[in-house]
Amino acid sequence: MAKKNTKNVEEEAEGELEDEEDNEDEEEIELLQVDTGDMIKVKQIMDETVAAAVLEHIDEDYKLDNIKLIIMTAACAFAMVAQFAPIPFPDSRIILGACCCCYFVLSGVLQLITTFVDMDSILITRPLSKNGPNGCGPEEKKTKTSQIKNKDLFQYGVRVRSQFPRFSEWYTVILELQNKEKSPCVSQKWSVGQFFDKEGMFDEIGLQMEVDKLYHRLENGDYDKDVDAKKKD
Amino acid sequence: MIKDMFDKQVIELKKLWGNKRQLLFQLLNLAMIVFSALMIWKGLMFMTKSESPVVVVLSGSMEPAFQRGDILFLNNAVEEVGVGDVVVFKIKDRDIPIVHRILKVHEDENGKVELLTKGDNNRVDDRGLYAPGQLWLEREDILGKATGTLRYVGMVTIALNDYPVLKYVLVGMMGLFVLTSKEG
Repeated sequence: MAKKNTKNVEEEAEGELEDEEDNEDEEEIELLQVDTGDMIKVKQIMDETVAAAVLEHIDEDYKLDNIKLIIMTAACAFAMVAQFAPIPFPDSRIILGACCCCYFVLSGVLQLITTFVDMDSILITRPLSKNGPNGCGPEEKKTKTSQIKNKDLFQYGVRVRSQFPRFSEWYTVILELQNKEKSPCVSQKWSVGQFFDKEGMFDEIGLQMEVDKLYHRLENGDYDKDVDAKKKD
Repeated sequence: MIKDMFDKQVIELKKLWGNKRQLLFQLLNLAMIVFSALMIWKGLMFMTKSESPVVVVLSGSMEPAFQRGDILFLNNAVEEVGVGDVVVFKIKDRDIPIVHRILKVHEDENGKVELLTKGDNNRVDDRGLYAPGQLWLEREDILGKATGTLRYVGMVTIALNDYPVLKYVLVGMMGLFVLTSKEG
């Protein structure tokens, strides 16, 4: 799921740049701080930033998300029926059995989707549209639709994947085309030390700029040559 | 330190509130977790045909076999209960189920069964506990036969019952942590 907090952060950063008179270190005090030992939180924050940066250029595709939400709601509905059915116990045994079965089947389906369809992707987007505004970033930062070299972007959505193995310092972001067989991809690996300092202060703007560069590579169709190396971990 | 944790949680909650889709997702996540536990309970109810497939022993009337605070797993799908079986039964119009052992079984030619129970640690049989005028128990009064036990695990339930505030504190904390953790 993507968070749309880019605008807030940019406003915050610009406000600080205007306020501070002396050194640039002032800016860091307002930034997010994470416990660098907490791998899950670190990955989560980086994922959110990457997703927000990509969403400036394209819109998110909510299809899979909606499917998951609908499955969860259906499962909860079965559970409510099982709990609140007005029939007293011994007779309601059959309904209970049916509801339980349905609940566990739906739960299993949800788990399968999360494990095999989602895998390591953090964001899925719709294909670009030729006319309408794409993404939620400021217009002047986006490439004009007529100038985008990679025409595939108008046909396929983009899948953003991220890999951050446990206890490793390397964070990899991979952008590839959604729904295309053997899609070529654009990827980049960074050390987390580039965006976090010793106390855990997070350089959000830095990561956003790097992701922007990566996205522009995708717009130009500048794919990575060695596709096999980017196998899913 | 606790204030820091609390502040962090509040910040996370505020962030969540701004993004309605994410909030819905996290709420449904929380609901799924709660319902999973509920569904396992209902599943047990279905399989054991018993209203209450897991009970906690509240008194010491079955010592030394079962102590106060033990958890008992019940199975009501058995057709007949015999002498020597440990069963949980409820006396009509009373709330609290009782765990005792079957002492006598009488069966007449129609198949109607009458039972007498007694706690291992009691001096007399349960006729004093039955409803006034009732001398025997019937098969319908039995909630199930004890088929498994876990020592002392039920002490948590007894504590939660004696101090109801603990229930709300526990559930509140768990809910907060699930809402603000983002593994979904």
